[in-house]
Amino acid sequence: MKPELLDPIEWESIIDTIDREFGQGVTKKLLGKLTPMALVEGNWRNIYLIPTSWMNLLIEEAPSGFDYHLAGKQLGVMTKDRFRLSLQILPELAQMTTKILTVSRQGAESFTYGRSILKESVVYLDFNLKRNQRVLVMDEEFHCLGIASLATDANRLSRLKSDDLVGKNLVDIGWFIRRLG
Amino acid sequence: MSRKELRQKAKTIAKEHEYLPYMIERYLSLWGEEATMQFIEACEQPIRTSIRMNPLRAEPEKVIERLKKKGVKLEKIPWLVHGYYADFEGHSTPGAFLEHMLGYYYVQGVPSMTTVEVLDPQPEETVFDLAAAPGGKTTHIAQQMQNSGKVIAIEMDRRRIASLESNILRCGVTNAIVLRGDAKKVEKLGLKPDKILLDAPCSGEGLIPLDPTRKSSKSMADIRFCATREDELLDAAVNILAPGGTIVYSTCSIAPEENEYIVDDILKRHPELKVAPIPLEFGIPGYSEPFGVHLDESLKMAKRFLPHLHGAEGFFICKMIKEGST
Repeated sequence: MKPELLDPIEWESIIDTIDREFGQGVTKKLLGKLTPMALVEGNWRNIYLIPTSWMNLLIEEAPSGFDYHLAGKQLGVMTKDRFRLSLQILPELAQMTTKILTVSRQGAESFTYGRSILKESVVYLDFNLKRNQRVLVMDEEFHCLGIASLATDANRLSRLKSDDLVGKNLVDIGWFIRRLG
Repeated sequence: MSRKELRQKAKTIAKEHEYLPYMIERYLSLWGEEATMQFIEACEQPIRTSIRMNPLRAEPEKVIERLKKKGVKLEKIPWLVHGYYADFEGHSTPGAFLEHMLGYYYVQGVPSMTTVEVLDPQPEETVFDLAAAPGGKTTHIAQQMQNSGKVIAIEMDRRRIASLESNILRCGVTNAIVLRGDAKKVEKLGLKPDKILLDAPCSGEGLIPLDPTRKSSKSMADIRFCATREDELLDAAVNILAPGGTIVYSTCSIAPEENEYIVDDILKRHPELKVAPIPLEFGIPGYSEPFGVHLDESLKMAKRFLPHLHGAEGFFICKMIKEGST
């Protein structure tokens, strides 16, 4: 993959996507003193946060004969117009956001096998969250298990049946295992 | 025992235990008959599962407590800071635990953990891992460095890169750069690392307890082929190592041709390189006179794991220092 500096417009759109979903200023906190860059392959732009001292190695003096596959902290991936957060950044993000769906032990196990979240598994969901909102899925011990998209407004939760869908699984940490077969 | 008698004996033992005769012949020459039989017997026994706690993701004490509550029996490995024998009996695979998915621990062989402990990477250093997939050692190096400095992880095999990346992300490693390419051309990167780990691709002769097909799948020509590649990789690594830097060369082979012979050759070609003592209590000393061939005496400071002596897969670890000041 080819390393590239991030165009400010692209970076602004990533900031906007993350902040809109998880709270104003969150992306800036995730960035800290690091610099965003992309590893590009076709339509995929993998976004990483790296120390500025790595810029020479990665951008200015990229060696021939080697292909970059990962560098520093993976923020997410941009495919066409859509940005998806990386699993790696989620534990850090969980400390900064209130967009959280807490699930029961059984719900947590099911979620890490790639399943979505039913009403019966929901332990806590902020009353104000709306349908299509992306939320971090946490177990009751505050382990971050992945991301879900709400299938309903949170204030309608009490009216749902126990097997109604609440959160659609977008990505979960079971991927680390499933990916490798 | 005459050469002819040794061959005959090797042939008989090999047939009985489904090894290739050349392997048994070499074991008899190296260790004698009693130890050879012990080796064969040990290779039929399962290797104990071991895990490494990952403080980058969670406090080891809390993870130990969680696992114990789930019925996993843990026993500390004396010379490893974060290494434990783990008995997951009654459970599914160790990889299916939530704590594993969260990156709280890594399922890893004892010798593999030991190589990084021997390398002893420090925060803020630049460390190369030259045959990095699937990432057990890369993630271990990063945790020792507390995610500072940089780990350059190089892997040639495109398919194995996926597991390397996945393990880096799972374990919360943020100081790694993963490159796909030929580690023999590593000088093109223009860096002088403080430390290098070369766990070289090898014939895997030490892995018989884990893979019984290895008893008959590799010929002497395969070992020679691997030895040539190991020699080239080690030479490339030594060339880029910073003066005063440390290199750890390891393989999961028990063949002296892939281990002591390779290091002996490199010591002759690079007089600035010296074998260094390993200040950890494990294994047995490397061989300085395997098959009657006289090699550099300092090779006794290298270490070996053998299945019949250590209940682990066969492994070779040699620590070397490049003289000069950084």
